[in-house]
Amino acid sequence: MQLDFVNRELTIKLVYYGPALSGKTTNLQALHKVAEPGASGRLMTLETKDDRTLFFDLLPLTFRNQGSLAVRLKVFTVPGQVIHASTRRLVVQNADGIAFIADSRSNETQHNTESFMDLRENLKQHGLTLKQMPLIIQFNKRDMPDVRSDAEIAELASKGREPVYLAVATRGIGVVESMIGLLHLTWSALDAEHDLNKKFGFDSKAFLGQVAQKLGNPKPIPEILQACVGGALDVLRPEAG
Amino acid sequence: MIPPAAAKTFDELTLGHGVGLEDLIDRDALSEMVKSFYELLGVPLRIFSEDGKLLADAADQNPLYAYLNSAKAGRVALSDIAGKVKNLALGEDGLASYPCPTGESYVVAAIQYDGKRMGRMILGPFVSPSDAVPTRVLLTLDPALEASRLQELFLELPRAESEAVLKLVRHLQRTLDLLLFSGHRALLTSNMHLASVRESFRELEDKNDKLQTAFDRLKELDRLKSNFLATVSHELRTPLTSIIGYSEMLVEGLAGEMTAEQREFVQTIRDKGEQLLQLIKGLLDLSKLESGTMSLRKSQTDILTVLRDVAQTMSPTARKKEVEIIVDVERGLPLMWADSERLRQVFLNLTENAIKFTPPSGRVTLSARITAVDASNPEEAGGLVILSARRTAIEFRVADTGIGIPEAERSRVFDAFYQVDSSSTREAGGTGLGLSIVRRLIDGHDGTVRITDNTPKGAVFVVTIPVKRATIG
Ligand SMILES: Nc1nc2c(ncn2[C@@H]2O[C@H](COP(=O)(O)OP(=O)(O)O)[C@@H](O)[C@H]2O)c(=O)[nH]1
Ligand SMILES: Nc1ncnc2c1ncn2[C@@H]1O[C@H](COP(=O)(O)OP(=O)(O)O)[C@@H](O)[C@H]1O
Ligand SMILES: [Mg+2]
Ligand SMILES: [Mg+2]
Repeated sequence: MQLDFVNRELTIKLVYYGPALSGKTTNLQALHKVAEPGASGRLMTLETKDDRTLFFDLLPLTFRNQGSLAVRLKVFTVPGQVIHASTRRLVVQNADGIAFIADSRSNETQHNTESFMDLRENLKQHGLTLKQMPLIIQFNKRDMPDVRSDAEIAELASKGREPVYLAVATRGIGVVESMIGLLHLTWSALDAEHDLNKKFGFDSKAFLGQVAQKLGNPKPIPEILQACVGGALDVLRPEAG
Repeated sequence: MIPPAAAKTFDELTLGHGVGLEDLIDRDALSEMVKSFYELLGVPLRIFSEDGKLLADAADQNPLYAYLNSAKAGRVALSDIAGKVKNLALGEDGLASYPCPTGESYVVAAIQYDGKRMGRMILGPFVSPSDAVPTRVLLTLDPALEASRLQELFLELPRAESEAVLKLVRHLQRTLDLLLFSGHRALLTSNMHLASVRESFRELEDKNDKLQTAFDRLKELDRLKSNFLATVSHELRTPLTSIIGYSEMLVEGLAGEMTAEQREFVQTIRDKGEQLLQLIKGLLDLSKLESGTMSLRKSQTDILTVLRDVAQTMSPTARKKEVEIIVDVERGLPLMWADSERLRQVFLNLTENAIKFTPPSGRVTLSARITAVDASNPEEAGGLVILSARRTAIEFRVADTGIGIPEAERSRVFDAFYQVDSSSTREAGGTGLGLSIVRRLIDGHDGTVRITDNTPKGAVFVVTIPVKRATIG
């Protein structure tokens, strides 16, 4: 998080993590597509010719007119391929929140696991633990055959602490919900640490509502948050910081 | 080489607080773009960074302003205009225009990127064709300035409709936004390349450190092992000497007559004890050699004497195996600066091996001739011209007609305890220490040893040791 007192601007860094080809870039593309032009900047992709993310993608989102603070979200993806470990470590540094995008297909389970361990390891190198990091998990590609069943995921999700979302990123399903869930957790953690709501007369519920609106989802926030199939969304994460 | 540190951190580059207009756009490209817009519209165009630095400028000398500059009031009016234009407050849309009291106009527009002000562009002066008349303010500015000349020069100012200028400005803003975006992407890409190189470098360095630590540890362990071997061998030798001594006394009947069977048993104890002692001596030698505490007592040594002595010592063993030993030493070899006892040990070991691995009716040849160190060993090549005086050497060969040593094994047989193909070696016995001691003793004489094939079969150990006669060098 970066706070610019002069311009009264808060910059929050969110990272979409996960194995190669799980749909991280597609998530950003979907967000870019639904976002109001005023809220979203260009989606920047640093990719190779073969269309695989080389370094990262970056989507800037800006929300003004909330309290006395403008909020900028910088949404990153990391390259999933094993060889790009150093880039992942660099991108994930100073992240305020992380969305882990898993591939729902049963035969991708191993890759999801490896990537998650890699995330944990990278956080550790930055002196962080998973517990301290606002984190949601998205099971993407729900439209594909041979995916792990809803019941199986719900069962696992109910035991874990991270909120879990189901998505079909190519059709934009579950994408905004995941983002709102992540932002909710991230804001709670940042507020707990920096007392932002009080300092800046900020109403986080209204802020989330505004974000959802500008991302093309006019539903009330509690309803959007309910899209999550498990885990805890209302934790204030006292461990943070 | 350590890669240069990146000027900016990843956060600075991506979170938008650390990059300015100049970081994102190439100055020359910006200048060219500005020039081409100037040619298109005819209105001067300048671009400033957010902190007020002029980055690009396309304008011809303006005759009106040059004339105004020639009078005091004119200069004051011009600097007033410049100040006003530069600090003009921009509207929500990032645009503002300034109609000068002297009749011409300016348009100022913000350069934005990712919602941040990066700088501003200033277009003007220009006059709109509809009211292309100089104001009274201009005409009465300074008595030193002629009204008719002012009138004339004013009409020469670039003309453009305000609407057209604004339209162009918006177009410019969009173009710049695009340029900034691709500039930003290029900057990030090159920085990421740099960062990943730096990261790989760091990882390699890490690994290097770890390897170095492991290596140091191994070296330390090796030293401890040598110490341990030395101590243990020494402590084993003392009681063993007693065992051998007492069993010898028993065999000699010093403690009374024994039955034939008893004597045979005690004899076996003595023989095995002797074997054990040889092994321990070997270990002790090796550990001394490894720790570098074995001192060589070098003197002028006659080679023929050494080799003959070896052949004589080994002849009972050879005869038992029906293997012939031949000594073949070139005439007139110089004396050699060597430890004769250790040299004897070298050739005893080699000859013992040769006999051991040669079937009956075979032959073992010990030969020596004078040569240059470089003659046969490519590792020693180079600098011959300079070094030759010191490079006279004796080449020894211990050749047999035995089972030979496969190419792949040749470097390994010198390792302690290493034996080729355990089944046949088990038959032949031994500990695998002999050659490792041989190698170290030869090292101690600055020599080399290598193995080649014998024809039609068998192995040849070629030992080359510099003569180092006191008379030379
Ligand atoms: N069927 C299906 N395909 C998807 C979905 N999300 C992503 N993909 C496809 O998966 C591939 C990899 O997606 P991408 O976003 O580039 O993966 P990344 O490596 O995580 O950035 C692309 O061909 C996407 O079209 C989804 O929800 N359903
Ligand atoms: N002349 C030779 N012909 C064939 N093999 C040999 C010869 N000399 C040495 N070797 C091989 O090298 C091994 C190591 O020799 P050495 O160090 O003297 O140990 P040892 O004689 O106790 O086995 C031997 O076991 C044998 O396999
Ligand atoms: Mg990608
Ligand atoms: Mg031997």
